[in-house]
Amino acid sequence: MLRFIVHRLLQSVLVLWLVYTCTFWLLMAAPGDPFVGRKQPPPAIIAALKARYGLNDPVRAYWRYPEVVLLHGDLGPTISYSNWSVAAVIKNTLPVSMALGALALAFALWLGVAAGLIGAVFKGRWIDRVLTTGCLAAISIPNFIFGSVLLILFAVDTTVLPSGGWGSFRQLILPAATLGVTYWAILARLMRESTWDVLQSDYIRTARAKGNSPVRILSRHAAPNASLPILAFLGPAAAGILTGSFVVEKLFAVPGMGYVFVNACLNKDIPLVLGITMVYTVILVMMNMLADVACAMADPRIAING
Amino acid sequence: MRKTLLMPTIILLGVFLICFWISAGAVQSHDAIVFCQERQIHTIDPAKMTYLQDIQVAEGLWEGLLQFAPGTLKPIAGVARSWTISKNRLKYVFHLKRNARWSNGQRVTSRDFVFEWKRVLQPHTGAGYVFLYFHIAGAEKYFNSLSRHPHHHLAFSSVGIKAPSPQELIVTLNRPCSYFLDLMAFPPFFPLDRRVMEQYKAVTDGVTGYNPIWTRPPHLISNGAYKLLRWRFHQFLELVPNPYYDQRTQVKCRQLKVVSYEDATAAFLAYRSGVINVLGFIPNSLGPALVREARDGLRHDVHIRPVFGTAFLNLNCQRGVLKNRLVREALSLAINRHALVKNVLRMPDVPVHVLVPPNTIAGYHSPHGMGFDPKLARALLRRAGYPGGRGIPPLKYLTVAQAPVAARMAEAIGEMWRKELGVQIVIDSEEGKIYQEDRVHGNFDVSDSGWYGDYPDPSTWLDLFLTGNPNNDSHFSSSTYDAMLRRASLERNSHRRLALLSRAEALLVNKDFPVVPLYQLADGMIYNRASIAGIAPNFRMMTLLKYIRYR
Repeated sequence: MLRFIVHRLLQSVLVLWLVYTCTFWLLMAAPGDPFVGRKQPPPAIIAALKARYGLNDPVRAYWRYPEVVLLHGDLGPTISYSNWSVAAVIKNTLPVSMALGALALAFALWLGVAAGLIGAVFKGRWIDRVLTTGCLAAISIPNFIFGSVLLILFAVDTTVLPSGGWGSFRQLILPAATLGVTYWAILARLMRESTWDVLQSDYIRTARAKGNSPVRILSRHAAPNASLPILAFLGPAAAGILTGSFVVEKLFAVPGMGYVFVNACLNKDIPLVLGITMVYTVILVMMNMLADVACAMADPRIAING
Repeated sequence: MRKTLLMPTIILLGVFLICFWISAGAVQSHDAIVFCQERQIHTIDPAKMTYLQDIQVAEGLWEGLLQFAPGTLKPIAGVARSWTISKNRLKYVFHLKRNARWSNGQRVTSRDFVFEWKRVLQPHTGAGYVFLYFHIAGAEKYFNSLSRHPHHHLAFSSVGIKAPSPQELIVTLNRPCSYFLDLMAFPPFFPLDRRVMEQYKAVTDGVTGYNPIWTRPPHLISNGAYKLLRWRFHQFLELVPNPYYDQRTQVKCRQLKVVSYEDATAAFLAYRSGVINVLGFIPNSLGPALVREARDGLRHDVHIRPVFGTAFLNLNCQRGVLKNRLVREALSLAINRHALVKNVLRMPDVPVHVLVPPNTIAGYHSPHGMGFDPKLARALLRRAGYPGGRGIPPLKYLTVAQAPVAARMAEAIGEMWRKELGVQIVIDSEEGKIYQEDRVHGNFDVSDSGWYGDYPDPSTWLDLFLTGNPNNDSHFSSSTYDAMLRRASLERNSHRRLALLSRAEALLVNKDFPVVPLYQLADGMIYNRASIAGIAPNFRMMTLLKYIRYR
């Protein structure tokens, strides 16, 4: 296990370096100038700013950046929010995205597993058809449309729930539902298929023959094995929900990192884009590793070797 | 089953609770007035700001030598209790109040002003409005010497800013400036507590800077109506009255929250549900409907008026057929502004044929612009050698993506030119920063644009078309025009100066046409007058947070 983790960590360093290199040079090649605005200051100011952000010499900046990050643990200053360093921006927005993502995923996980079990047990019956149609709709409808519909139903036509913002639990319900619904559908589909497979296997037939009740067979014998794919999917799902939340953040005025990231790209805020990309990469790599380890721990059939 | 899914669930809920606790923590107070701005705060460093949302907050946190009077926005006594102006209007002596204090209780002295003004003049500070300092004797030379010879620059003593005593500040100008007092109420001229700033000084690569943490509570020290209690990134700024402010009886709001939403519709929904008390802008997508409802008497909370801003087209004077003055004139004459405003914008913007918004500057008479005249336009095009638009390649019309109105506008204007002149356009809709870059570098034939005046003087508009001005997007260069503006800047008689400026504007909108003015912008706010008082919608769109209060 230790060897596996060390091996994966070494791989991650390589991944991080590759992502950094690609992001950096793509940003350099992309059109647009971060210091150009509606009211142009005198050229001397722009030159001084470029020098301060070390952007006059891309090759030097490319090598300098990791050095600063590793030696000082500092991601540098942002360009578009000059009162906030990149680290401060991430510190303030990442918890927001993580809280929203975690809630959305918890909701998707439990409802998804429940829907999947029901679908597998009643496969082919009307309730399964309803759930399948629901899943298909949830996967195919883009979340900005789903979110807008929720907004109209619960915040415009009636004022059951607040339209967004951040601070109270009630404000989280609509964005979490919007963000989680796609993952709910995927999880439900996964759970349905894997439960159905497990229910066909020999050991379930044995359990049945021993006179176990259907509920006990499902909960004690079938579900633990059936939920293994779910566990494996949770890692990428957690990373995906965190990195893909910008539409929901905009729609419901959630001050999270996704929208800051999109704005940083549009503003060509190079240090901020690099910083957030690196954080996203670290999260993605960690989540995948965590899911692998969790699967190995839950299923002795999976052997982890370095 | 329980075992396999219990762990992820516990982890997810744990992450949720911890992160939510870290990031939310904001206590909703019923006393607070929530003021929503259109855009996020860029910076609250008064030296660097150029955007309205930043300036409005700075006007609440700091006070300059002078401050804006509610309603009229005339400059009145601020930190300076009185001032004298020499006869030749070049020397200003400001006498500071003895009881002006920072939010930490220390006295505000003239040295704090000198400290900050010197900081603004350092190129690496990145002060977008540094050119406003160039009215002060020696300031431009000092700035240029710093940017050219960082190590052998002129001494700051060569600049006409002197503090002979803690209560006295003397400023000497290059030439008379009729709006200089107005500038004293503008953020780039605000003071900073030099003793506090000293703690955040950081020298990197031989350049003196300040750790940006000084702008965030509890580090930020200001001298205005409010102090900054909390600032959550992209969430809110929480302002509470500054206990050391000498006019604190005028500050009636006990807690002010300044917020902004990425999505204007989301902001409007929040206003509707009562989360926001004052919406400091009219959401674009809802504008026409809201205006119609207000006109029909269905709602009384929409306050909209023409402001100190103009929307216009830049015609690139250095490129292709547009080098020809006659072609530019023809393009201008073929646009029906009234139709654009009435059918495309559907907002109370005012069609104009001049650049400086009419009747906004006392004593300034706008020239007569050229109206919609397609017949004359066709004749001009024929005279230029392009009868019926033949020989003119499709013009590149640069506009910004993410602005649906701008795209509709481009299509309408393109159609007018096609129909009246036979001139085709290609609409190039670009992302913000790319659009800005192409605009600045002249990579277009026609670009849509707009400008909000910074101070109540025609020069805030007319300087744009000076040769070499960084904002001269039309790349217009006329020695006659430059000479006229120079003469105006040397003219000491205010009436004669304004008359000269009016003639210069006539050159732009009647003769050379580097710019096609379209309409004077209208802007507004949404708030309920029955519950909120102390806001006076004004032509500069400046809401003075100091006076805002519950009724």
